[in-house]
Amino acid sequence: MSAAKPLLPQGAELAAPPTRAKVMVSLFAALCLTLLPWADGVRWLLPDLTLMVLLYWCIHAPRLAGLGIAFALGLITDVAHGLLLGLNALAYCAAAFVVLLLQRRLEGFAPPAQTLQLAPLLLGKEVLVLTLGLAFTRGEADWRYLAAGLLASLLWLPLALLLGRLSGRPALPDKTVIE
Amino acid sequence: MPHAPQAPLFVREMGLPTRFALYLLVCLLLLALDARYSALAWLRGGLNAVLHPMQRVLAAPWEWSQEVAGFLITHAELKRENDRLREQRDRMRIAQQDRQTLFTENERLRELLALPPRPGVAPQVAEIAQTVPSPFSRKVIINRGQAHGIEAGWPVVDATGLVGQVTRSFPLTAEVTLLTDSDQAAPVQNLRNGLRLIVSGTGSDRLLEVRFLDMHADIKPGDLLYTSGIDGVYPAGIPVAQVVQTEPPRNTPFARAFCRPLGGVGRYRHVAVLKPLPKSEPAKP
Repeated sequence: MSAAKPLLPQGAELAAPPTRAKVMVSLFAALCLTLLPWADGVRWLLPDLTLMVLLYWCIHAPRLAGLGIAFALGLITDVAHGLLLGLNALAYCAAAFVVLLLQRRLEGFAPPAQTLQLAPLLLGKEVLVLTLGLAFTRGEADWRYLAAGLLASLLWLPLALLLGRLSGRPALPDKTVIE
Repeated sequence: MPHAPQAPLFVREMGLPTRFALYLLVCLLLLALDARYSALAWLRGGLNAVLHPMQRVLAAPWEWSQEVAGFLITHAELKRENDRLREQRDRMRIAQQDRQTLFTENERLRELLALPPRPGVAPQVAEIAQTVPSPFSRKVIINRGQAHGIEAGWPVVDATGLVGQVTRSFPLTAEVTLLTDSDQAAPVQNLRNGLRLIVSGTGSDRLLEVRFLDMHADIKPGDLLYTSGIDGVYPAGIPVAQVVQTEPPRNTPFARAFCRPLGGVGRYRHVAVLKPLPKSEPAKP
């Protein structure tokens, strides 16, 4: 992590900045991926791709993705998964809020270091959904769903590199050279 | 954010914590409204009507691949299956004749005893569109909804037994809570001795349970449990479960029995929703 981060974007990042269209299309694609007819046996293992893409854009384009989009996406996820309305919306808003608070710091880290900082958040989202759901419903929760948070943390690196390529960010910002 | 194209020159908006607090409030309000008062059916129904076609489109490639795989089946296999089905049809026809005589006999006896006729049902076939990936409940979505006259509360069966109950009806789809959901229960009767019991789900696909069983209740492994029809929701005589194991009372004054669901809960693609008919009109076989 170099302290010499350029004030203005350089090179490829300048040529292909994140735009509203990119943000919306990638969020929609992630949502579609989670809506695919996954087999019952792997459902609990399925990472919340929508949240991951949302957090990526909260870090790298906080003017384009924020609490409003988090709320809307959460509501859609709630309906699609047949959960209580507001359960995922709350979790998404909370995660987006934390990331927006730490945005300046997270932005400077390379994806591998971001993974370590976001893993508690991705896992915490699953814990929040499970505990809140338990508080508002009778019955019991399937705690295997926590594994989705772990898998999401593992998948952060490839996802961040992929989305970084989409918006022209260099894979490792340490290598940016400025005179 | 130096390179955000939409960065405004003057910030005229609420601070981040304030906005978050507002969203938090709205979310908690939604949660409470949905959990305690179910006042948001319109919102859920509307969003579902938009989401369902999207999910259908997304599932289409998978269904096509299934269809292609089904198309590439050999002639011999088709022939074999055809023979098997023909044999099964003949067997069922014989059973049906038997059933018809029993039905008329039952009707006559009921008339003699001046009992009201048993409430009839009209089955409506539906296909399971998707399972609900919820960590809290066991539910499936079927591709029949308000547009097809499906209403919440109707029982859902398949070829082998009881599957569950329609709990929410959306414009084009309906949500079926499976019998194995830990919140579901069905009144049943032991086929061997007519003992009335209540079977509850445990949250596992392969296991049902009879809680609060009398210590000396006559229930043995292998007993078949059929719906008793006394709750007015499930019609009588639908196979529900087979007792696998009974457990003597340990810490509680009650015994428990574990059962295996007879319906293909979570196995089949097609189910039948049973529409209750008015009681005055007896069902014709």
